[in-house]
Amino acid sequence: MVLLAVVAVAFFVLPLVGLVQRAPWSTLWDDLSAPESRDAIRLSLECSLWSTALSIAFGVPLAFVLARQPFLGRSLVRALVVLPMVLPPVVGGVALLYAFSVNHGLVGGWLLDTFGVQLTFSTAGAVLAETFVAMPFLVITVEAGLRSMDRRYEDAAASLGANRWTVFRRVTLPVIAPSLYAGAALAWARALGEFGATITFAGNIRGRTQTLPLAVYLLLESQQGTAIVLSHLLLTVSIVVLMLLRDRWFGAVRES
Amino acid sequence: MRKHLRLIGALTVVIALFVTATAEPALARANTAAAKTKTAKLSGSITVSAAASLTEAFTQMGKDFQKKNKGANITFNFAASSALAAQIQGGAPADVFASADGGNLQKVVTTGQVTAAPTDFTANLLTIVVKPGNPKGVKSLADLAKVGVVSLCAAAVPCGKYATQMLTQDGVTIPTDKITLGQDVKATLTAVATGDADAGLVYATDAKSAGKTVAQIKIPASLNILAIYPIAPIAASQNTALAKAWVDYVLSPVGQKGLAKFGFLPVPVT
Repeated sequence: MVLLAVVAVAFFVLPLVGLVQRAPWSTLWDDLSAPESRDAIRLSLECSLWSTALSIAFGVPLAFVLARQPFLGRSLVRALVVLPMVLPPVVGGVALLYAFSVNHGLVGGWLLDTFGVQLTFSTAGAVLAETFVAMPFLVITVEAGLRSMDRRYEDAAASLGANRWTVFRRVTLPVIAPSLYAGAALAWARALGEFGATITFAGNIRGRTQTLPLAVYLLLESQQGTAIVLSHLLLTVSIVVLMLLRDRWFGAVRES
Repeated sequence: MRKHLRLIGALTVVIALFVTATAEPALARANTAAAKTKTAKLSGSITVSAAASLTEAFTQMGKDFQKKNKGANITFNFAASSALAAQIQGGAPADVFASADGGNLQKVVTTGQVTAAPTDFTANLLTIVVKPGNPKGVKSLADLAKVGVVSLCAAAVPCGKYATQMLTQDGVTIPTDKITLGQDVKATLTAVATGDADAGLVYATDAKSAGKTVAQIKIPASLNILAIYPIAPIAASQNTALAKAWVDYVLSPVGQKGLAKFGFLPVPVT
């Protein structure tokens, strides 16, 4: 048993060691500040933060409805929401293409004619692709938080005269805050690492849709050092997110 | 605990099966390689790493070749030549490398993965592809600077290198924020065929294979760049006889005809 567990751990650790030992420490700063890297870092931050914001704005209400409002087909809706978590991101990208492409999409042409908005090959498209794969993580986490909270606090507040919005803002939100933070962090990390849907749907335009993972993929062939340094950056961010999740927000869960 | 033990048992069986399954072809390969030195008949299998632009032509030629040589098995690995060079340098199994440019084959020559001298086997031209019906009215290379999003190959990929070379030579500058980069020529083509890119620069052969999904605007030879494709067997091949036979087949009149059918050009005589 232990032996197999050791094999499993080695399987996870070995690639990380492989990546870390290839770090070109001497050129680290040059690689990080190369124009391609700077563009990709700036764009990745911008897109992933927008994507997280959108996930919160739409995901929290969705989680609330899923957790509190029994309606016909609720489990179907939940399944559809979770689908992007298991769907290969490339397929997600293709699906987005046939929804929002100006030439082939269901509503893409209409969006362009009516609002003058083209999502494909635009930063907004990259944000959309990231949100498509990231929002489910937030919805699921927040819904779990809502389901496990003690609803008597809300009842007490309501009985003291608070209206529904006040109850939500002053009672529900603070109680589920750990779930919200954890969900947002997971969604942000997922958005930051998004590759398949982005390259398929939004393309690969430097400074506009070429996020960090896309830059890593392309630079691996021409500037390996830069690609490795950017991989390290993503790895570091992932580790930090994981540590924050464990110590800050999942701490209580672990104790109990 | 007994349940766990049973699980471990099952896992062990699965792993054992997996190991034997993967080890078998390698063993068979070694055996056939040994047997081949006695008979001239080709057998066993090879992997041909070839430029993405060769996808349609090589797939068809591979079928023809295997029809004539029963028992010979050719597997293709199509990708950007730059990616293939990196794979071969990283020790990926390959018996033959057919690159869309000299530079990427030279990379593996430099690292000693190819010992025989590469031979140029075919040539290709670049072309402009647009949406069917050419809605943006692209007429020339210079128009690429004015349409919306233009799909090019990434800089390390041969088609990207040729495109940059051609645009520089002809004095056309496309704004960086209008260029989407494909990881190989097929991805570059797809951005126009199924995506919303307004135009793209790909090989004439890709435009031909794409059929009606795109329209083509030819670039005059005087403004174009001739892409020369070299081929070489990989030194570490376990089946050098079959690897050599494939290279010979590609260079033979039959192979050249097979390439021409897909729009490839003969190597210019110098």
